[in-house]
Amino acid sequence: MSQRRTLYPELEPYDAAHLQVSKLHSIYYEQSGNPEGKPVLFLHGGPGGGTSPKHRCFFDPEKYRIILFDQRGCGRSTPHACLEENTTWELVADIEALREHLDVESWQVFGGSWGSTLALAYAATHPLSVSQLVLRGIFTMRVEELLWFYQEGASSIFPEAWEKFIAPIAMHERADFLTAYYIRLTSDDPELRREAARAWSEWELSTSHLYQDPKSIAQAADDDDFSLAFARIESHYFMNQGFFEHRDWIFQNLDRIRHIPAVIVQGRYDVVCPMQTAWELHKAWPEADLRIVDDAGHSAFEPGIVHELVEATDRFADTFF
Amino acid sequence: MPALRDDANLYPEIEPYHIGRLQVSDIHDLYFEESGNPHGKPVVFLHGGPGGGTDPKHRCFFDPDKYRIILFDQRGCGQSDPHASLVDNTTGHLVSDIEALREYLGIERWQVFGGSWGSTLAVAYAETHPTRVTEMVLRGIFMFTKREAEWFYGKGTRVLFPDAWDDFVAEIPEGERDDLIAAYYRRLTSDDTSIRDSAARAWSVWETRVATLLPDPDVLVHCSDPAFTLAFARIECHYFINGGFLKHEKQLFANLHTIQHIPTTIVHGRYDVICSMENAWRLHKGLPKSDLVVVPDAGHSAFEPGISRALCEATARYADL
Repeated sequence: MSQRRTLYPELEPYDAAHLQVSKLHSIYYEQSGNPEGKPVLFLHGGPGGGTSPKHRCFFDPEKYRIILFDQRGCGRSTPHACLEENTTWELVADIEALREHLDVESWQVFGGSWGSTLALAYAATHPLSVSQLVLRGIFTMRVEELLWFYQEGASSIFPEAWEKFIAPIAMHERADFLTAYYIRLTSDDPELRREAARAWSEWELSTSHLYQDPKSIAQAADDDDFSLAFARIESHYFMNQGFFEHRDWIFQNLDRIRHIPAVIVQGRYDVVCPMQTAWELHKAWPEADLRIVDDAGHSAFEPGIVHELVEATDRFADTFF
Repeated sequence: MPALRDDANLYPEIEPYHIGRLQVSDIHDLYFEESGNPHGKPVVFLHGGPGGGTDPKHRCFFDPDKYRIILFDQRGCGQSDPHASLVDNTTGHLVSDIEALREYLGIERWQVFGGSWGSTLAVAYAETHPTRVTEMVLRGIFMFTKREAEWFYGKGTRVLFPDAWDDFVAEIPEGERDDLIAAYYRRLTSDDTSIRDSAARAWSVWETRVATLLPDPDVLVHCSDPAFTLAFARIECHYFINGGFLKHEKQLFANLHTIQHIPTTIVHGRYDVICSMENAWRLHKGLPKSDLVVVPDAGHSAFEPGISRALCEATARYADL
């Protein structure tokens, strides 16, 4: 097979700052690449995952003006791990505020996992602000998607990791792991919160790569700041089913974004956001270009996923402004 | 990127030194063969499906200098007669056939090697005749519980392979999709050859498409022989409709105490989506002395590179016991 594309070299931002988006929340954002280039907004996953410098590397820095930001409560945004005023629609409003603040007319929106959910929600409510969509590891926050990962589904493929995930939960609470974890993650007891956050994050990081990656799994155990924001914010959104008015809100609003050029990249062995959702999205929105990566799991950094994502941003860089 | 297939792990292809037939009932006449070393350690290979039949390649999991390798086609499939027959075709009959074959060949005890349905039959046989089994080498574990059957024909596999599932379902008219297995069974037992063949092909394509980690470009070639697909689909569906002819769905787990003494190796692909990893994990916990080998980059097939390597390593380890 032909050589796979890899990430662009790491680079430093030319601008990094905070934007006060409410009395409570201040979000970190940064710009890198070419200030005169085509604007692209990177939406991280979780929610609560935050951005990392490597997220800049999906884009040609000579052609793109690369904008990353940490969503409310995570990464370098403050207050850390805060669940107040933290909903999908507040994040969507933040994206618009950031776009106006940066004086961008419309931008490409790039997001995987929860980032794909947020990208679709943003595009459906602000279609004129979006020039193209690059989506990965599709997640639309439907009940069956949550049950697959937190109740029964992924558990069958990673039974050893699953045993660790359910270990802290009492037998009588096991009919609903999401609720059981949410109770712990929002407890007043910091130790209980921390333990739950580690187990929650370890489960997701154990199942996100085709080959289990001990380094990323260790991140859950070693970095309490990361895991606390990640677990608390994720469970908060999942308990509230993404704050969507109804369960398949994204599917019902596809007509608003059908015209936007889009690429959907999906790992066949994505067990966090399994392919069924990407497939249903593809059937409902055949105009979008679905790329199935046969040897990849969920992570954006799986080699085959990187290849498709970089190809997509390159194609869009040259085809559209 | 993992290799699609690498036969370098297997022993070289060999010809049988003895081919025979054994009449096991008024109607059933079984094909069997022996290869390798006539004075070697006896091993019986149990093929999958049920209804899959044996293949010359199945001889290659064993060192031909050390093993007396016995393959046979289970009732109704491969070169056994009558072809695709469902009469007197149950797990109990197959277990008796294995015993009949052992006695016919004058073998005191033998190693039992089987994957997928072959692992079901191996455990069923060992639990019935625990003193006749020297070791077990089991792959792609399937213990015929309801949960396992539902995974493949309803709740699990389809989530990761929604595209293949759509094709599997398309064979059945919408009004009959509530119980797909029953709908398939009606077609597979129809008097109309064209209906039977079409259902048999769709049934076999579904299973073959999801059997390997990476897509096998020859899927349709494998499923192009109507004689093969008819036996495979009819017999498999017949066993599924009847819950594997077990007294109760957890029968094989309930009787594991009878085979604790048998040295056992369990080999399972992490991305086996036909028989999920959970099956192997549960069997391993039920047989705590067993060796569990999880192949991180393999699906269900015995010929996945990591799987065939682990299987050959197991038989090599047991060769001198």
